Amino acid sequence: MAATSLQNYTLVITGAPYSSQAPQTALLFARAAIAAGHTLDRVFLYGDGVHLASSLSAPPSDETHWAKEWARFLKDNAVPGVACIASALRRGLVNESEKKRYELPASNLLEPFIIAGLGEWVEGTMASSRVIYFHAGG
Amino acid sequence: MMPINTLHILNKAPDHPRTAQCKHALRPGDALLLTENAVLALSVAGGHDDPAIPVYALEPDAVARGLGRSGTETTLVDFSAMVNLTAQAQNVISW
Amino acid sequence: MSTLIVIDQSPYGTWEGREALDMTFSLAAFDQSVSLLFTGAGVNWLRKAQTTSKIEQKSVEKNISAAPIFGVKAIYADAKACVQYGLGLDNMLAGVAMAENSAELLHEHTHTAFAG
Repeated sequence: MAATSLQNYTLVITGAPYSSQAPQTALLFARAAIAAGHTLDRVFLYGDGVHLASSLSAPPSDETHWAKEWARFLKDNAVPGVACIASALRRGLVNESEKKRYELPASNLLEPFIIAGLGEWVEGTMASSRVIYFHAGG
Repeated sequence: MMPINTLHILNKAPDHPRTAQCKHALRPGDALLLTENAVLALSVAGGHDDPAIPVYALEPDAVARGLGRSGTETTLVDFSAMVNLTAQAQNVISW
Repeated sequence: MSTLIVIDQSPYGTWEGREALDMTFSLAAFDQSVSLLFTGAGVNWLRKAQTTSKIEQKSVEKNISAAPIFGVKAIYADAKACVQYGLGLDNMLAGVAMAENSAELLHEHTHTAFAG
């Protein structure tokens, strides 16, 4: 293939792990993008995609742990991973400060994911040259 | 490699309503990339109706579903080539 | 940059339409050019007199009607889908433009997104 100019990507994941293939496809895409010299501005989890940032998922040991794989990738490449706060709170994904604010019994946000508003997605669309969405299939 | 106006990434099975919408939106200069369940189109005879639109299918998804053989109309690509396609296209729509 | 947010999921049965509206309003809040396209089963969001109290959900009728005030550039409905679901100007929310060929809209925007 012809040489392509380097891009800065924002990836948006809206499909949940273990009910869709979206987080897997997104991770394999993200690895390939980094390997080709592109940069990732951020990864934004929206809708059911926020389940990827749960520290409480415990798949059988012979299955890929997609949350941990994603967390490792984000750390290794210093890419911000942001879960939409409105999607997250509705679905029971909270960090320490939201736990305190809503007086919840536990927090479960996996590092290095953070929770923030849709403004993070808007900024991603403005800051990056490509925005790629990974939705649930069907 | 021809420049791509819009790259359409389709991850829905052939009978999903969004598949029909996606095909309806294809224009000359666009390209179609089948991923995940959309690669099942490789098993559907005559599924590709517009020879002017290049069609790619993600090889890992095709192989996973027992459909690893490239047809005459579809080019199998790996993730690295998928990244290239998104970099070459002016716009990308994920269906 | 101009964004088209597409809603093709019917109301209340899934959350995608609501989350697509949230995306739309966020872009508008940041003064980004954004329009909405309702297509497929998604056109049912545009029906008048949605009374949701008995399913204990909030109606989005008001949100959609307020979209222009919040800076959403245009609201389009796919004309074929409207016919399919028995929607016409008489039983639809005001301020919606019929798109005879909604696929063209995708090519008129630099960024097209679904919520899921």
